[in-house]
Amino acid sequence: MENIAIEEHIITEKPFYLVQGEELLIARTAYQNRLPILLKGPTGCGKTRFIQRLAWELARPLITVSCHDDLSTSDLVGRFLIKGGEAVWMDGPLTKAVRAGAICYLDEIVEARKDTTVVIHPLADDRRELPIEKRGETLTAPPEFMLAISYNPGYQSVLKDLKQSTRQRFVSFEFNYPPTELEASIVREESGIEQSIAEKLVRLAAMTRSLKDSGLQEGASTRLLIHAGKLIRSGITPRTACKATITETLTDDHEMLAALEEMVSSLF
Amino acid sequence: MDAHELKNRFTQAVLPDILNDWEIEETTEPLHGLPDTALKEIFRQITVIWPVSHALCNNFLQAVARGLTCLHHSQLGDWVKAILAAYESGGLHEARQLLEQVEETFLCPIRGETGISFTEITTRLQPYATGLAGHPLELSSGPEIYTDTATIYLPPRIALLPKRVDNFLLYKLIISFQWAFTAIGTFSLQLRKDSPAVIAAAKRYRTVLPSEFTSLSDFFNLFPEPAVAANLFHFGETSRATSFLQERLPGLMRESTPLFQALARTIPPDTRDSSADLQRTILLQAAQDTYKWPSGATPIEELFNALFQDDATSQDSACFAAEAYDRFHDHTGKSCPPIIFQGVLRPAEVLAVQRKRRTAAKEQFIAALAAIINAPPLQDAPLDKEKDEAQSSGFLELEGQSTVVIPPAGAGKDQGETEKSQEKTLEFITIDDSRIDLPDKLKKLAREIVDDLGHIPSQYISSARQSAGKGLAQGNAPPPQEGEALTATNLFIYDEWDYRRTGFRKNWCSLAVKKINPVTGAFVGNTLEKYHGHLIRLKRQFEMMRNQERFVRRQKDGDEIDLDALIEALADIKAGLSPAEGLFIRLARDRRNISTLFLVDMSSSTEGWVSTAIKEALILMCEALEVLGDTYGIYGFSGMRRTRAELFQIKDLGEPYNDEVKGRIAAIAPQEYTRMGPPIRHLTRLLAKSEARIRLLITLSDGKPEDYDDYKGDYAIEDTRHALIEAKAQGVHPFCITIDKQAHAYLPHMYGEVNYICIDEVKKLPNRIPEIYRGLTS
Repeated sequence: MENIAIEEHIITEKPFYLVQGEELLIARTAYQNRLPILLKGPTGCGKTRFIQRLAWELARPLITVSCHDDLSTSDLVGRFLIKGGEAVWMDGPLTKAVRAGAICYLDEIVEARKDTTVVIHPLADDRRELPIEKRGETLTAPPEFMLAISYNPGYQSVLKDLKQSTRQRFVSFEFNYPPTELEASIVREESGIEQSIAEKLVRLAAMTRSLKDSGLQEGASTRLLIHAGKLIRSGITPRTACKATITETLTDDHEMLAALEEMVSSLF
Repeated sequence: MDAHELKNRFTQAVLPDILNDWEIEETTEPLHGLPDTALKEIFRQITVIWPVSHALCNNFLQAVARGLTCLHHSQLGDWVKAILAAYESGGLHEARQLLEQVEETFLCPIRGETGISFTEITTRLQPYATGLAGHPLELSSGPEIYTDTATIYLPPRIALLPKRVDNFLLYKLIISFQWAFTAIGTFSLQLRKDSPAVIAAAKRYRTVLPSEFTSLSDFFNLFPEPAVAANLFHFGETSRATSFLQERLPGLMRESTPLFQALARTIPPDTRDSSADLQRTILLQAAQDTYKWPSGATPIEELFNALFQDDATSQDSACFAAEAYDRFHDHTGKSCPPIIFQGVLRPAEVLAVQRKRRTAAKEQFIAALAAIINAPPLQDAPLDKEKDEAQSSGFLELEGQSTVVIPPAGAGKDQGETEKSQEKTLEFITIDDSRIDLPDKLKKLAREIVDDLGHIPSQYISSARQSAGKGLAQGNAPPPQEGEALTATNLFIYDEWDYRRTGFRKNWCSLAVKKINPVTGAFVGNTLEKYHGHLIRLKRQFEMMRNQERFVRRQKDGDEIDLDALIEALADIKAGLSPAEGLFIRLARDRRNISTLFLVDMSSSTEGWVSTAIKEALILMCEALEVLGDTYGIYGFSGMRRTRAELFQIKDLGEPYNDEVKGRIAAIAPQEYTRMGPPIRHLTRLLAKSEARIRLLITLSDGKPEDYDDYKGDYAIEDTRHALIEAKAQGVHPFCITIDKQAHAYLPHMYGEVNYICIDEVKKLPNRIPEIYRGLTS
């Protein structure tokens, strides 16, 4: 755990995020009402970018934690370390966020073990408290603090899902692939390529998304299109760029690879 | 080569015979306009055929131009050889067959390494077609090339071009063009009686407009020769499709340029105002070749060229057909076959597909709407018969005790309306003044129906309400008790859920648990051999799942010291706290604690492919599960009527996987009907008794639940759904694997959106099922 000053978590530049509906409005309203938020959707649809934008708009620091199987409670809350012969308490990212009235974003929350996840329960209901047992203190979150979590529902494993006792504490947002024109603008802005190529990439993505459950687990996300765009802008030919960033990334199955190649070669 | 040169060459070729001038002229006439490379080859062949038979040579020369549309000139030699062989065995008559039907009689028998067959292209181009359309678009092979908007029909084999990869490209091109026709609205042309095209045609040919006037066929029938009109319309649409594809799929059109040019070259030049001329224009446009007519464009050509513009519509094609009809020389009976990727138009079949789709959407919509109308408590009131209402404003008011109001398009959403997209989303309906938000599925259905018909017919709503209404069940009296004597030793009685009265029918079904007699035979052995390679991989995958070896930290004892925990403990000591006791790392093998029951649909509809695939899948699954060590069982179900639901025990939860079990799997055969409620309830009971932490009920099915009596439709779906809810309440996770393509219509409602998966091809079942199991349980 590095001790990054809270100031460094503040986002200084306005993150590029194209609003699709009322999500920013609802999130801000949730914030004002001190309600935590849950973002769900497939990968690469703008969940993280949305949180960054929200943090910037609210002018709060944003602390992100990527959850994984080995995440323990002390990793979130904090632990004692020995420094120069003394025991010094070190706040974990969650505690830091609570103290500073920041936004704490737990990404891919279902990956963490259930016994770790429950630590957020008191923070996520109207108590808004974080018990720090080792210090014998209970932190009450200031009104500026907000808790945000995300996950990808999709094809659920019975072992990894979000329990009702957890999810019913949150205001939930569904993220999905943006509508065509919006997506083309996003790809154009983020990668710097011209509109016509951005539109073709979006068309390619739409074709792959029709194949979900017919051979592809997921269609191409907006993020992959941005990758392709960046390569194209740097001089790689479109067909090669799409092969590297989209086709080969989406699948290893040879038949599906060939089918995707046909799509790419029909567009570019 | 000009005419003079042709005559000279011909004279040379037929020496020592001498023909008189007009004979030579007549014979060489069909050769005008053919490319020189082809002509060289033709003359070589003349020297071969002429000595054998003059008449045959004449026939050959008349047929060669057409032959060149299918053959490359380098194949002419082989063709002539075949013609001569036919002549020598069967005379002129047999040779003529070869001359006239080049494709069928000559090309097909060539075992061309350069040809490619339909089955070879499906794996690569089926997903391509689905991707283009945005929804499943089937590919099928048949004698004609056309589409009915749900399927594209392709030739069984293409060997037109010398290179295999070009023939593949041709398949791709055909698919793209056929999709383009659907996308640009060729088949959805709305011709009303006041359309200019219709008026022009009717007036000119003095035909009477039929009272019901909607389809393309009606329009073509206004002309004296409907086929010619259809042909013209089709050319118009092909031009529009060409521009469309150039914009949408530029890569494909670019790659196909040489193909277009080759096809254009086979068309003789002197063919103005005939379909050959139009074909050439289309091909050159596609190849982005600017070909200028020597003496300027005729008005017909100008009209035609307008169809390549972006704003041309299918109405314009219809107008073109009406205007150009008179001028067209195809009336003499000689019209070219269509350009290969054009195919033919089959408006009748399109209409049939549209009708079917409409009916299906209607049924789904009614069912879905009924389900949510059911949810809020409605007052018990007799339903009035609804009359047909006008749909002008999108509002619908029904008489009776409750009102269902559908807000007009766009209400509730304040989106800036652009020219292109007007999202007419039905967001909610109002029942008795309480607003009910429509779930996404229903919104999508509603939108489809509005897109198709322009509104939601009142009849749909009234049907939904009748479905949802409580009270008088519509003539679904319980069937009489059957006096069948059941000799099974295990007989169970189960209730059945009646959604109409939202209550159980007590002791309604009897379920007999039977054993299957194992068969000895080669099936199991063959399956293991067939999937030998796959099995090795599968077993390895499942083996890796077996022991999730984890280093568990902060344990009270273990092999290694957990340094993180130790450091924290030291720090805690320093801080004056008592340290934690768990300072060791232990290697733990997480024992999987899963029990699974597979419920296999053995209804008669699984006959054939499905049954074999299911059995193979089960064998593979068992082999894999034996490696993994999970507890599992297999049951088949079928039956007829509520009095004889049957459950076949193939493998019990505790039973070992031995030869007898294998024999039982092999003995699985299609039975009768599909009453799903009792088997699900029974297996839930069995699973609930097991002590595993996770209990799975995986159903393998090929379609909806349906029994011989009144167990069908919504009733069956609702009972099955309720049984699944009961299962969940007892801690059992249900999951469904189906091959029914219509699964999306009812499975989300029964199992939940994420608890089912549809496998599009039966033969993929054996591969997919273990994969799905793996995904579910890790």
